[in-house]
Amino acid sequence: MIELRNLTKRFGSFTAVDGLTMTIGTGEFFGLLGPNGAGKTTTISMMSTVLLPTAGEILLDGVRLDRKASAQKRKLSVITQEYSMRQDMTMDEVMEYQGRLYFMPRKAIREKTDALLSFAGLIEYRHRTVRHLSGGMKRKLMICRALMIEPEILLLDEPTAGMDALSRRQMWNLLRQVKGQGVTIVLTTHYIEEAQALCGRVALINRGKLQKLDAPDALIRELGPFAVDETGADGLVSRYFHSREEAIAHLSAASSDAALRATTLEDVFVDCAGRKL
Amino acid sequence: MGIITVLWEKWVEFRRDFFKITVAAMISPLMYLIIFGLGIQTTSHGEPYLNFLIPGIVAMATMTGSFGAIAQSMSVQRLYERALDQIMVSPTPLWQFILGQIIGGSLRGLYAAGVILVLTAPIRTGLTFNALSFLIMFLNGTVFATIALVLSFLAKSYTDAPRFTSYIIMPMSFLCNTFFSTDQMPAGFRQVIALLPLSQASAMIRAISGGQRPGAFGFAVLAAYLAVFGGIAVGFIYRKKNL
Repeated sequence: MIELRNLTKRFGSFTAVDGLTMTIGTGEFFGLLGPNGAGKTTTISMMSTVLLPTAGEILLDGVRLDRKASAQKRKLSVITQEYSMRQDMTMDEVMEYQGRLYFMPRKAIREKTDALLSFAGLIEYRHRTVRHLSGGMKRKLMICRALMIEPEILLLDEPTAGMDALSRRQMWNLLRQVKGQGVTIVLTTHYIEEAQALCGRVALINRGKLQKLDAPDALIRELGPFAVDETGADGLVSRYFHSREEAIAHLSAASSDAALRATTLEDVFVDCAGRKL
Repeated sequence: MGIITVLWEKWVEFRRDFFKITVAAMISPLMYLIIFGLGIQTTSHGEPYLNFLIPGIVAMATMTGSFGAIAQSMSVQRLYERALDQIMVSPTPLWQFILGQIIGGSLRGLYAAGVILVLTAPIRTGLTFNALSFLIMFLNGTVFATIALVLSFLAKSYTDAPRFTSYIIMPMSFLCNTFFSTDQMPAGFRQVIALLPLSQASAMIRAISGGQRPGAFGFAVLAAYLAVFGGIAVGFIYRKKNL
């Protein structure tokens, strides 16, 4: 279980994360959503101890997480937004380095590297240096590296950024498999449909503050599961209704180009961000 | 265990860039030896100037080799590649990471010094380099690898590393007992220069090369630098909020 208690991060006078408090259960697939600059990456960076909080704390299974907490850090694996790898190492070396950093035996490192690189379709490029890989291959390598150590908690910061639609779907399937093994996954993403497809619960944060926290379906129900889009003088405007009857009644009275559809998590996100920004 | 991992990483780097590292270790010292030692042939303290110069160049090579191995690499890893994040997240104790970097950097300095000794071996100088000389070279390397680590943690951009070389390494190369004895320097300035690590490393290696025993003061100065900068490096990696 991960507990964030009043987690705060300031950079000078700018507050990136402001008193964030939430609990993420063991085995949960949890999404952190928010507009650019909301504090998602800063939160993930604090959860991986790359950044230290200005105030508040993070507990992993009841134990405070800091840079000295080797036993707690052993449970964690991170896929950062940037390609945080030695650019001059080959794929094999990147994987071996990771295995060594987590004290894995050499034989296990070799076996796991073979299995993961094969699974990701990277095995034939294993002797290629990172700087000579495409963006998608680097992203896959980061995933292989993160899974190398069989983590209990996987922190994913925009893991599908820059991936094409097919690769993204493959990644979703992979993450579902990982989740099926009981791994706790914390995901930040710009792709709202990704969070809706994968996450059991999502936290909407804006300007470092928690705005909403619930299951995607519950957040949609709260806003209203029926949406009517109509084009007005201010452009496309969506209205949300709690019953189909209400939505149809509004649609009947609206202009001819109005349309009824199901509300999505993206509507919740836009509604929340739009009101707060 | 973490120390071995860092040394393995340094070995991977060294194996891949062996040629570049070796050439880089040779060029500047070789120029100094040719220009000051062989081109401008003179004597110092009644002996051929080369006998004075070679121990200084060897000490300088450990400094530049160790500093260069860490400063550039760590700055790029921390600020550009973000590869340091991988270390921060891992369970490898961070003090072991620091110690591995210091030892790895120092070994690179020792290699650079070894290259100079091989290059100057054909010149019959009669200078002595024994196990104690190599210990001093290693110690000097640890000092400058540690300074490089601290500076790379302070760097705001990865282009800062060459600036550190200009501000620290270049002045020390010329002022600290490498090319001329600091005995003739003005009082006050001479004492300050004597407290710099390269001055002591040069003096000790030179003393051994001439058949004398190095003073304990030199070891104390190097150990003090190592302790202070090592402490700062460990403090940074555990406590710096925005590493």
